[in-house]
Amino acid sequence: MNESAIHQSLLAAGIAGVGDLDESSKDPTIEVQPEALVETMTWLRDDAGCAMEMLHLVTAVEREDRMDLVYHLSSLAKHHSITVRVSVARPEGDVEFVPEVPSVASVFSSADWHEREQWDLLGVRFAGHPDHRRILLPEEWIGHPLRKDYVYPSEHGGIPLELDAVPIYEKAPAGEAAERVSEPRPAGAPLTQPPSEPSHRPHAGGKAPDKTKDQS
Amino acid sequence: MEALEMYTTDDRSDVYTEELKLNLGPQHPSTHGVLRVELKMDGEVITQSRCDIGYLHRCAEKIGENVSYLQFTPYTDRMDYLASMNNNLAWSLTVEKMLDLEVPERAQWLRMICCELNRIASHLIAFGTYGIDIGANTPFFYAFRDREKIMALLERPSGTRMLYNYIQPGGLRRDVDDNWVDDVLTFCGEFEKAWVEYNTLLSHNRIFIGRTANIGIIPREMALDFGLSGPVLRASGVKWDLRRDVPYLAPYDEVDFEVPIGEGTYGTLGDCWDRYWVRMREMMESIRIIRQGCAKLPGGEVMTKKQKSMYKTPMKPGPGHAYMRCENPRGELGFYVVSEGGASPIRNRTRAPSFCNLAVLDQLLPGTMLGDAVAIIGSLDIVLGEVDR
Repeated sequence: MNESAIHQSLLAAGIAGVGDLDESSKDPTIEVQPEALVETMTWLRDDAGCAMEMLHLVTAVEREDRMDLVYHLSSLAKHHSITVRVSVARPEGDVEFVPEVPSVASVFSSADWHEREQWDLLGVRFAGHPDHRRILLPEEWIGHPLRKDYVYPSEHGGIPLELDAVPIYEKAPAGEAAERVSEPRPAGAPLTQPPSEPSHRPHAGGKAPDKTKDQS
Repeated sequence: MEALEMYTTDDRSDVYTEELKLNLGPQHPSTHGVLRVELKMDGEVITQSRCDIGYLHRCAEKIGENVSYLQFTPYTDRMDYLASMNNNLAWSLTVEKMLDLEVPERAQWLRMICCELNRIASHLIAFGTYGIDIGANTPFFYAFRDREKIMALLERPSGTRMLYNYIQPGGLRRDVDDNWVDDVLTFCGEFEKAWVEYNTLLSHNRIFIGRTANIGIIPREMALDFGLSGPVLRASGVKWDLRRDVPYLAPYDEVDFEVPIGEGTYGTLGDCWDRYWVRMREMMESIRIIRQGCAKLPGGEVMTKKQKSMYKTPMKPGPGHAYMRCENPRGELGFYVVSEGGASPIRNRTRAPSFCNLAVLDQLLPGTMLGDAVAIIGSLDIVLGEVDR
């Protein structure tokens, strides 16, 4: 079956909340309301004509006005595949946007880790997930790095993460405290900012060689 | 007195052990990288397992949103670093799908030959390190001896030994030299003899069979439910290979090869030995593909002029999305790219086969012995660079 035939049979099954087939892209995509997601996925898996045995990927895509959840399914027996998309609109002026969709881990076990990863990196909640934890980042991490408005942290667990966090000191005269010559990178500045002026970096863990001394 | 009561009230009064929490990894050779598994043990038997991944996380998807389509190719090398050529191919095909690029015929055939060579190299690592996991050190040296020949062959066109960055959107970086095809054929002859040695060393060894047969059985339904792919899926008796079923490169349609599946030769279908044996037979099928590819290799360009000019300005696919998947040595590698018309995608998602295959581990371990856990992790053949990305 091609994508439009799958869409037609899905419509004929009479599941409330199944939308149109978006054919504007390379992979035709069925749009589904969040409430109908679990029912749609179960039907796609169990129907003899569709027989979508495998869920390949769960992807969250952040757009300006919404969060899209994209599910890639394919059938090994029938040699066809389909893409399903669920959209959650971002409420007006909502800064802490935490979209929530039903989890499909009860339909496909492969969704378990994929959904955990999307929670971890994009902050999407999956209602009914059996083990809703972060997966790649530490449990105490703040924020979701793949969000467009994510702010790069300056330190984690006492480890400085800024490029210039290790202070650079001018060579101090004997008996005097070293003076800091470079300022840490300001928050929000690009990581690849060229240094404003060349700084002197003493040799790590030791004194800089004294050039005035005779080498012999 | 208390201790005596404890012994008599327990059901297994003769062998009472307290629950032990064991931390397997992250720095342990049998975990093939920085994988950590939290195990709850009852004596030697595992009662619960929980994977902890992310030690090698570099947020490749975030990087992919900030670099151009061409610049992301070297980052794909560093995901599954044992099969860089296959990763490059999957990414290039994704970009080509977005841009509707036509690739010259010679480039397609050379892509197929390089990817199959890389598949053998990757399976040789799986074969060699699996022997070490089980306790057989010698096969490792045989595997690395022959892998070195493949690395030397792939170094000649690409310039590097492991992270090739050779296959690029639009074709190949450069053509192979004149003697390359002859040398590949020489290697094929040598490898076919070496493969027989591997089997006498390890495959049909009684101790090896004892350690792997009937261990870590993945039934067919479980394999499909967890979205497993590659040799792990085929060992469970599912005849599914993208090269045969959804040929993503035109030459795969024109060559003749078998798709090995597990048969439960020494134990149950889908056990560790089946997964190992599927990989071993796949190496010989790759040799068959390479031989046919070398015989049919057409002449011509490896990258057309139109595509060369595209490298001067960034590629900008129109708004839309595309998902492309390829048969990697470890399973189906997929890239999902969403573009809004800019020079870099707004979402760059990787379906890593090792990530999906590892998810099944927490289901396999409970009920097995600790020594078998090492055999099961090894038989899944994961690369942590790809699990964590």
